[in-house]
Amino acid sequence: MNFNINRGPLLRGVAIVVFFAFVALVLIPAYVPRPAFIPGFAPPPDMWPRTVSITGIVLGLVVIVGALTGRVAPQDPIDTDGGSSKTHLMRFAAVVLCFAGFIVLVPYIGFLLSTALLTGAAIYLAGERRHWILALAISLLGPVLLISFFSSVLGTQFPMGALTKPFGF
Amino acid sequence: MLTEILSAFQAVATWQNLLIMTAGIWGGVIVGAIPGMTGTMAVTLALPFTFYMAPVPSILLLVALYKGSTYGGSVSAILIKTPGTASAACTALDGYPLAQQGKAGKALNMALYSSVTGDFISNLSLIFLAAPLAILALRVGPPEYFMLMLFALSTVAGVSGNSLLLGVVSASLGLLLATAGEDLYGSFRFAFTDDMQAGLSVAPVLIGLFALPELIKLIVFRAANRDVAAKLGDQQVTRAEFMGSLKSILRGSGIGVIMGAIPGIGPSAAAFFSYGEAQRSSKNGENFGKGELEGIAASESANNGACGATMIPLLALGVPGDVITGVMLGAFMIQGLTPGPLLFQTNIHEVYMLFIGMLMSSVLLFGAGKMTMRMFSYVSHIPQTLLTPVVLLLCLFGIYSISSSMFDVTILLIMGVVGFLMFLMNIPAAPFLIAFILGPMIEENLRRALAISRGDPMVLLSSPITWIFAVLIVFVVGLTIRREISKSKTRKA
Repeated sequence: MNFNINRGPLLRGVAIVVFFAFVALVLIPAYVPRPAFIPGFAPPPDMWPRTVSITGIVLGLVVIVGALTGRVAPQDPIDTDGGSSKTHLMRFAAVVLCFAGFIVLVPYIGFLLSTALLTGAAIYLAGERRHWILALAISLLGPVLLISFFSSVLGTQFPMGALTKPFGF
Repeated sequence: MLTEILSAFQAVATWQNLLIMTAGIWGGVIVGAIPGMTGTMAVTLALPFTFYMAPVPSILLLVALYKGSTYGGSVSAILIKTPGTASAACTALDGYPLAQQGKAGKALNMALYSSVTGDFISNLSLIFLAAPLAILALRVGPPEYFMLMLFALSTVAGVSGNSLLLGVVSASLGLLLATAGEDLYGSFRFAFTDDMQAGLSVAPVLIGLFALPELIKLIVFRAANRDVAAKLGDQQVTRAEFMGSLKSILRGSGIGVIMGAIPGIGPSAAAFFSYGEAQRSSKNGENFGKGELEGIAASESANNGACGATMIPLLALGVPGDVITGVMLGAFMIQGLTPGPLLFQTNIHEVYMLFIGMLMSSVLLFGAGKMTMRMFSYVSHIPQTLLTPVVLLLCLFGIYSISSSMFDVTILLIMGVVGFLMFLMNIPAAPFLIAFILGPMIEENLRRALAISRGDPMVLLSSPITWIFAVLIVFVVGLTIRREISKSKTRKA
């Protein structure tokens, strides 16, 4: 089923302008320090990010004008399972939660267990229900095999968890 | 010269050397095909083994790994939209749609043929044009670099999809993100955390932007047939298809040789440049990004074309053009060879052996590519619902192993979400990546040029090379605007 999402050209233009304006007016003054002394005629560190941000603002304004005058490029429809926008939003929120959960969990339960959980969650969220034995094997054995490979071949030391350290991972 | 070449051939064509090169090529192809593992990693890991080898076989092993990994990067780019190397990013644009259409074998074959052709031409250039190309490379200063990179950035027009405007917005985002970290004069820009002081690495941004949005799309939209394995479909590239792409392959190889010979540019920029040129001049230009074999040919011939050529400044001038040739410089020194003009006087026999070995490695690359292709093609058989999470797993381990940093893993996941949001907003990801890779080179050389000229912008048009690129940029921009106007009129009609 095709899902013809209205990606809001006007909103998109506004978002672009707001983002680049935020960078130019807030982030650059706060996070791009200018040294007290610049040798010769070398352009300062904020020259390039400022130029790019201003260009971005102008481009955003052009997108807004295009949206207001109806000059919008065609958008390809997205192929979906026919779920509602609310369902899609919930699924997206679940993905973001899983990613954030992974980052939060690594210091506590280690890289091995966190990747196993994230992989299992990703397979489940993707809707896989038929090959559940394979899914379980990938989630559990996959990280073990990869950690053995990277540790032995490259000598990579993966982070252990504060709670799982006594068990060796 | 002929006697010396024949003598070098006899010295190189031993089963031990062939075995070393074969192992290097196979190892490189496999490493390159694994998301997150890079050619630099493979070459660095192999370096300790070269301590116990003779000078020429040791360098050939490293060269073979480099070439193999550059080709291997295209395998994952085509099959799972995860470029193994940054130089394979453009390959993913056409390779992955072809794999989705059940033509993974055809795409892999075209990648192999164009890689081998580019590699072979590059090796020949190394033999016959090393001296003039090295002299040309020496004449490229900051203004020339800047104009060349600016021209390469015009590739953005070719990968912007439906909207050039949104492509340029995407490129601006990439340019902005590339400014994070320490700048030319030691200022830390956008260093929100200590980790940000070093800036963002290419690998997590590249893989996050290309591979992870596919997983998020699969989870959020759960498109039809997601759990059905793709068919391998027709495998072979027909003679007509190859001949139709030959112009792009030869041009791509030439671009790769010239850009590879200039220190600091490397295969990624060459691939972007070649892809953009192929799209502009091809009669199938509209199909680029939708599964066009010529797109794969242009990208792969250029990135492999640059591989051999990166040895030109190393051998002729003793200047390593990138990290890999930097490691190779170390290998030369360990073996008691000092790259530079004197190498051609004091160790000419070893130089010819190296040239012959590199030509042989092109043939071995073809063999290894053909043999591994069938094996890799079976990846297409795995249902998306299992394959895509496996890609996530590989990405997590691969990215962590590069720098042993959870910061890079966090960037990987954030860029995945950013890539998905860009998809929703109809903003193409490819221009972002191109700008992110070229951005630091553009800015650094612009600032250097302005510093040298005491702030006079006319320095950017101070030499014939800069003028040539300025004219090309004006021509391309004019052509792009004309094409956009024509597209807009067609839409209205």
